[in-house]
Amino acid sequence: MKLRDITIRAGRSLKHAKARTLLTSLAIGVGAFTIVLSLAVGAGGRQYAANIISSNTNEKALYNISPKQDGVDSSKPKKYTNAQIANYGGYEMVLLRQSDLDKMAKVDGVKSVMPYFTVSPKYVTREGQEKYQASIEPFQSEVKLEYAAGNANDIDKDSIIIPDDYREALGFKNASDAIGKKVQIIIEKGGSNPLDPEIKAFEYNIVGVNKKPAVAINGGTTLQMTSGNMKIINDYNLQGTPTYGTYLSASVMAKDDVDVDTVKTNLDKAGYESKTAEDLMGFIFQFINVLQAILIGFGALAVLTSVFGIINTQYISVLERTQQIGLMKALGMRRRDVGRLFKLEAAWVGFLGGSIGSILAVAGGTIANPIISKALKIGDVSLIVFEPLSVAVVVVGLVVVSVVSGILPARKAAKLNPIEALRTE
Amino acid sequence: MIEVKNVTKTYGKKNNAFVALDNVSFTIPDGASVAILGKSGSGKSTLMHAISGLDKPEKGEIIIDGKNILALNQKAIDKFRSRTISFIFQSFFVQANESCYDNVSLPLEISGTAVNRRKKRIEDALTAVELLDKKKSRARDLSGGQKQRLAVARAIVGNPRILFADEPTGNLDSATGQVVEDLLFGYNKDNDVTLIVVTHDPDLAKRCDIQIHIKDGKIESIEGNE
Repeated sequence: MKLRDITIRAGRSLKHAKARTLLTSLAIGVGAFTIVLSLAVGAGGRQYAANIISSNTNEKALYNISPKQDGVDSSKPKKYTNAQIANYGGYEMVLLRQSDLDKMAKVDGVKSVMPYFTVSPKYVTREGQEKYQASIEPFQSEVKLEYAAGNANDIDKDSIIIPDDYREALGFKNASDAIGKKVQIIIEKGGSNPLDPEIKAFEYNIVGVNKKPAVAINGGTTLQMTSGNMKIINDYNLQGTPTYGTYLSASVMAKDDVDVDTVKTNLDKAGYESKTAEDLMGFIFQFINVLQAILIGFGALAVLTSVFGIINTQYISVLERTQQIGLMKALGMRRRDVGRLFKLEAAWVGFLGGSIGSILAVAGGTIANPIISKALKIGDVSLIVFEPLSVAVVVVGLVVVSVVSGILPARKAAKLNPIEALRTE
Repeated sequence: MIEVKNVTKTYGKKNNAFVALDNVSFTIPDGASVAILGKSGSGKSTLMHAISGLDKPEKGEIIIDGKNILALNQKAIDKFRSRTISFIFQSFFVQANESCYDNVSLPLEISGTAVNRRKKRIEDALTAVELLDKKKSRARDLSGGQKQRLAVARAIVGNPRILFADEPTGNLDSATGQVVEDLLFGYNKDNDVTLIVVTHDPDLAKRCDIQIHIKDGKIESIEGNE
């Protein structure tokens, strides 16, 4: 018997038991729904995370560089070292000095070293406007900012980039109005009397106004200027204080022809810990993957339950159709073909269930996506991303699972003795 | 030609052993109509199952067209059943929720007949039993006589050489039974197909060329009309 004919017959006998077929496939559908949705959420999450990372990192860069602290047990008293330590909420960071930066620059494969630090000016203002608190970060070309007006192409020692919120606060009617105008950064001189500090105003031209981005971590709320500029005002700010000449951390760019991992090893040998963009991604992805695995686990549980449903339904079907099976065997249908008929019926059930579940998942996900994005205020980003291939894999996988569940009932049907099956009363 | 030689079939084991066929031998020429007569439990159904390859007697030979079908493997027996023989049953065994067309299509699908050659053969078979106008009706909507006619169509669609009929009129009233009988004997004569009827109806048996009477697993007598 041809596979085509068996498939058609299998489909037809399911059509004759519509309610039963539908109910059995719905059980699989629940599993398919859960699995397809969790795959989509996982894919969406990874895409979102990758987006965040690629907008904020460069694959040639190494981040969060800090001196290694081998064998330091934070629960025990520590020996005094000459290192400069910053304490942030109980978390100690060893700060980098200029000598560290110089040392890093000499490490094999390093193209450039960029210290990372933030400056907190006393306030930011411009003529005839209120004073605002602010913090300043170094401009990083690899961080992709979206500009409401201007850009960072001609950023120099007189330039500053401000977020759109500051543009409004500082009294500019619109973004393009702000371009080329001056803002003042008021810095306190380091070591001056805190009650009557000596201050100095630094003036910069606005070259860019950036929008609050959907995926960038930086740039949303801070002012940005070149690292060199920041060093000038930072030095003015910290002169004479213990943290003078230190940096929170640094990032390093690898030479174009050198692998970042090689540079990482070299830095490690020189005594510095660092993270590649991939390391940073890794932890986010691991979190998403674990979450996804848990969801898929629930789906798999539903599929497991439906397996028993299929076995049960198919056994009943074999019992009900004893005479039909007997007739087919008497007419010369081969045992293998009888088995196939029942396995294909199970396959149809799996296909139907998988399709129903997937369609509902895709429909539900597509409807929910904009609502979720709106609720989380992440802009025009999809957190549920359906990949046609993974949906297809789920459906095919469920068909396979169904066929496997159908093996036992199919074997019972194949083994049926036609004489017994056709015995009347 | 069908040659049955010293066939013995026993059910059960040792003390409970029941001899259903006891050293049965006879010959049926091609194109003959044969009635196997006997009371229930006489072994007539077992004999039919043995000749059709559904049952395997432990002793003897059944030679059809020079081949001992008892020595064939399962694959060859399945092929023999789908190509050479066909069945009609007392309780019809038509598939109630399938159309007449699909019912008749089944043997062609089993024998692997090419799709494009099926339609004509199915319609010819339905025409022969005068059910062509019902080809799209579900089998459950047919009357008893129509169902058995449908079963006849299903039996003849594959052009079998041997047609087995197990009490073909047992569930029909005499008028509809007559129609089915006429169909079977007409097909037997027109196509030179061997017809083997298992029955305990003497009137039906009389229409056959040969009557084989079976009692307690043994052949009581073989009568020929000629």
